[in-house]
Amino acid sequence: MTDGPWLRLDPRMLLVHPIDELRKYVVPLAATAIFGATQGGGPFVAVVAILAPLVLGVVRYLTTSYRVAEGRVELRRGLLNRQRLSAPIDRVRTVDIAAPVIHRMVGLTTLTIGTGGVGGDSDELKLDGLTAAQGQDLRRVLLAERSPTPEDAVDVAPPVAQYEPGWLRFAPFTSAGIAILGGLLGAGAQLLNEVDIQVDVVAEDLAGEATTAVLAAVVGIGVLVLVLTVIGYLVTNWRFTLRRQADTWHVSRGLLTTRETSIDVDRLAGVSVAEPPGLRLARGARLTAIVTGLGGAQRGSQVLVPPAPDDVVRRAGAAVLGSDLPLMAPLTSHGPAAVRRRWVRALGPAAALAAVPVGLVVAGAPVWVLAVPAVVLGVAVALAFDRTRSLGHARVDGHVVTRSGSLLRSRDALADAHVIGWTFQDTWFQRRAGLTTLAATTAGGRGKVEALDIPQSRAVAVAAEVTPALVAQFTA
Amino acid sequence: MTELRDPVHQVSPKARTLWRLQCAISGGVVVIGLVVAAVAWRECDARWWVVLAAALLAAAYTVVVPQWRYLVHRWEITETAVYTQRGWWARERRIAPMSRVQTVDLAQGPLDRLFGLATLTVTTASAAGALQVEGLDHDLALQLSERLTRSAEAAGGDAT
Repeated sequence: MTDGPWLRLDPRMLLVHPIDELRKYVVPLAATAIFGATQGGGPFVAVVAILAPLVLGVVRYLTTSYRVAEGRVELRRGLLNRQRLSAPIDRVRTVDIAAPVIHRMVGLTTLTIGTGGVGGDSDELKLDGLTAAQGQDLRRVLLAERSPTPEDAVDVAPPVAQYEPGWLRFAPFTSAGIAILGGLLGAGAQLLNEVDIQVDVVAEDLAGEATTAVLAAVVGIGVLVLVLTVIGYLVTNWRFTLRRQADTWHVSRGLLTTRETSIDVDRLAGVSVAEPPGLRLARGARLTAIVTGLGGAQRGSQVLVPPAPDDVVRRAGAAVLGSDLPLMAPLTSHGPAAVRRRWVRALGPAAALAAVPVGLVVAGAPVWVLAVPAVVLGVAVALAFDRTRSLGHARVDGHVVTRSGSLLRSRDALADAHVIGWTFQDTWFQRRAGLTTLAATTAGGRGKVEALDIPQSRAVAVAAEVTPALVAQFTA
Repeated sequence: MTELRDPVHQVSPKARTLWRLQCAISGGVVVIGLVVAAVAWRECDARWWVVLAAALLAAAYTVVVPQWRYLVHRWEITETAVYTQRGWWARERRIAPMSRVQTVDLAQGPLDRLFGLATLTVTTASAAGALQVEGLDHDLALQLSERLTRSAEAAGGDAT
């Protein structure tokens, strides 16, 4: 590695910074413009308010510099509170190149380096303001890629997965859709509360023309949620592609902010296929990467495939893992004791909850109150059934594979080489049923891949298959 | 060959006394709070029964839980791995290979110091949690932490 000199970011950031700063100060600025003038603060206040962000932008530009030297990437920034960040290049796990709208207009990008540190935002190695070409070059250096040769230009690998307009149908089934719906319902309830509508009055009115109004409102909310989720999906995932180039996986996507994430193949410990019920109904799924050294804070950069057709996701997952078995092979079920636990754990709390309205009816409440326990128990049965069906594990082709959950169902596959330990967790109830929760710990993602309520002997067998020498010394 | 055995070593018997003290303190705080409330709030006739029930529960907790924890808490360090077991109602066994050990940490709270005990924490690169042995004799914990640091260095690798 040749030692580079200290470099400034691109001078065009002098344009971007003030616009960014102005955007942040728009409200206080407007306030000063209006009140500053009328309250006799004079033009002085207004001038300061407008100049401050501009000066801040210039200061930021002048005090920020970076270099690649002695096998490290270093960043200096700050005027009064000087900060010097540095990371060894061989610890770089991912490189994320993003171009927000203003950056794009002047041809710049922001490059974020993921090193797996657990520090907060201020410790992030972020180079805000490189030209697109500089960004690509720096990424190549950081991820130790080969320099592009003329043949490479011809031989660009076809993408493993690529955005298609049809994928928009999955937008309403993403968690964003549920969040938006929840937000709207919450706002609606708040509004009803505010106008203090008496429930029984509404109930009487329902017979009349109010029915149409309520129906219209419901349909309106539905359409609004639909439109918002589709727009959200488009903005995030427009022109998504997943492709491999040499020893790096590249994910690029985005309509306004284009974002390109690059993940070193050696750091890719495994993948998770998330299949929440909505997506499953639409025959879709989502793929994320378990990246060594990337913790919770940088989760956003781990997406491999956004909500997309199931078979596309599985094919992409197979390409990433180098084998289609981990995501395709049938799973071993966890047996009758695990099934019993799913039912008890779903029905127990539901029964307790349902007992209250039943008691009320016995005490003289109207019979329609019984609808509440019926719904609660129905949901519990559905949940128990689905959680039972999800439960399973396998050990195929050098991967530990587990699946569990219903609303957050996911199938995780972790490569043997990335297992850095084992955890066996069991309560007294689990021990009595001969079950345990086995977790293969890893240095990436949530830190572990979990097999819920797996029979104890299977748990030890799986662990012993993956790391024979490690486990054998502790078995009896 | 299909069952994990317990780790070989138990923690110091003094840990059981320490845990009893801790349980008694937290139980006592709750009971005293209830007594104060019972004295202040005279409307409810059954209030002393509630206090009595709480006191009995606290006593049972102090007798049962530390003993149970003492029976569960065990540890073992071999040439190639660290194996710990902790908890009481919920038991947790953790195995980590020596080559994946990142840091070894020795901690001693004020009560630990009173009893000459220490807690040994061994972290790996996983965010899912560290291996922890509570209630070790301080001198032994010191020895272990030195031994672990040396072994982890010898095992090499960047621990991820």
